[in-house]
Amino acid sequence: MINLPARDVLGNFLTYNGDKYQNMVVLNADLSLSTKSDIFAQKYPHRFFNFGIAEQNMIGASMGFAISNKMPIVCGFSLFTTGRAWEFIRLACHDNLNIKFITTHGGLVGGDGSTHSALEDLSLMACLPNLNVIVPGDNIEIVKVLEYAFRIPGPFYIRLPRGNLNVIHKKDFEFDPNAIDVIKNGNESNDICIIGIGSGSYIASQFALKLEQELHISIRILNQSTIKPINTKNLISLIKNDKNVIVIEEHNTYCGFGSIISRIISEYCPKKIKIIGIENSFGQSGSRNELLEYYGFSYKNLKKKILELLNEK
Amino acid sequence: MQISSIEEKVLLTDILKLKKQILKMIWIAQSGHPGGSLSCVNLIYLLYKKVMKFDAKNPLMEDRDIFILSKGHAAPALYAVLSKIGLIEKKELYTLRSFGSRLQGHPKKNKDLGIEISTGSLGIGFSVSIGCALAAKLNNNNKKIFTLLGDGELNEGVVWEAAMAASHYKLDNLIAIVDRNGIQSDGSTEEVMSLEPLADKWKAFGWEVIEIDGSNINEIINGFKNACKIFRKPTVVISYLIKGSDVSFMEHTRRYHGKPPNKEEYESAVLEINKQIEIIQGD
Repeated sequence: MINLPARDVLGNFLTYNGDKYQNMVVLNADLSLSTKSDIFAQKYPHRFFNFGIAEQNMIGASMGFAISNKMPIVCGFSLFTTGRAWEFIRLACHDNLNIKFITTHGGLVGGDGSTHSALEDLSLMACLPNLNVIVPGDNIEIVKVLEYAFRIPGPFYIRLPRGNLNVIHKKDFEFDPNAIDVIKNGNESNDICIIGIGSGSYIASQFALKLEQELHISIRILNQSTIKPINTKNLISLIKNDKNVIVIEEHNTYCGFGSIISRIISEYCPKKIKIIGIENSFGQSGSRNELLEYYGFSYKNLKKKILELLNEK
Repeated sequence: MQISSIEEKVLLTDILKLKKQILKMIWIAQSGHPGGSLSCVNLIYLLYKKVMKFDAKNPLMEDRDIFILSKGHAAPALYAVLSKIGLIEKKELYTLRSFGSRLQGHPKKNKDLGIEISTGSLGIGFSVSIGCALAAKLNNNNKKIFTLLGDGELNEGVVWEAAMAASHYKLDNLIAIVDRNGIQSDGSTEEVMSLEPLADKWKAFGWEVIEIDGSNINEIINGFKNACKIFRKPTVVISYLIKGSDVSFMEHTRRYHGKPPNKEEYESAVLEINKQIEIIQGD
């Protein structure tokens, strides 16, 4: 499970839980092979519904299932689900329906390029009342988040990448949306607190020790997978003594996760903040490593941002 | 099947009274959509009164038929009917569109009031009804799903996505009803975005099509009941109606699509409807 692509973890989870959640139906828009919900379809064909390439109707129909006491799981690509059918999701949230929107291909997607990259979905989802928005950091967390979302009535948006997530949690990790998930604890007060979501948390932990040694600084790393509702009080009480903050998100920096964290920090404990994400771009084709390097998810760029924070007056 | 002439008179009178109610609500609110509410209130009333399995004393009854007002701007028509069958108190009707009211400008989900889903953004309600129909099939429940669409609403792409899905899944428990009054916000449907040949479009999408004269009570009831008997495909009942019907100056015009009557207009409309009630009762 640990080494599987995120979308395989999703497909397997749905299938393993088919009997436990008898009211679960899985909806798809001609992407069951790509989202791996085809695994569920093979075992539970009567509870799997393909709507063809028609995201709007898929989500409209999910509302019909929800008001008929079913628990629809809407599977699709992050961009097409949230972008094409945004207003449908808005209405599902408006009526606070028990629908789980679980998407794959969040962030930079690799070869498929800019038209398929989802770099705006968190902006679109985070503004919707009632909606829980969660971006798990690794496969261990994906399973725990899905278990949580299935247990709690109401709409959820869970964003997964197309490919693999590196491990950031121990096997006994438990998901609690109110707890602050500390990936690397620093001192009482640190020079830098890095807050990541999704792949961002691993990227931070990959480089932190080297940066601490090279720059003689202390770094704390948090994996803030829950974007909404965010437990502001717990977050602030943990980071209030840290001197600077860096957010790492595989998303547009203009109104994404970093913007949400910036708002919270400026409102409750003002300090300097930098955001590493995709700046004013729709992405492009390339290998995963090429894209991460190009868009600044690199040791070099993280170091540069830290130095800017430390040297700015 | 024909209803008796006595019952027909009662139903016609009820419908005219509902129209007065709609006008009063919109006049008091000084906003709302009279044209498309007046055109379809007879359809909604006859569904609840003569066709649907629905108990106003138990609106959450498990095996109830489902009604979705996809053309949510006809909310005053729905509220008036729900009041008539006992789900909404009459005095609450006059809180339409006011701050804090349960009777929002467009229907807001409230199962106690018999409102299954919020509607108003056109096309979505119809798509929701696909999910309801699929869920009923999955549960082996023989409930019917009725969805009322405006003809202008058929411009929305999702309507045709949903139409494709309904015939693909052979949803014979789904009955779409089109209020074919021929006028949308900006003008005639054929000027704004032509719909004809409308019946052929639905047929090409795999639907059974029943066309009815929406001013004829027997045709409406029989049309709905026949739609319930169609096997292995969904049915659309295209109801030819008049925008703003029974108020002469509101008929066949876009002017009152989303504009309330002023005091003189309201009083004149009520007089017209009262005259029609007198004629029916004098027959």
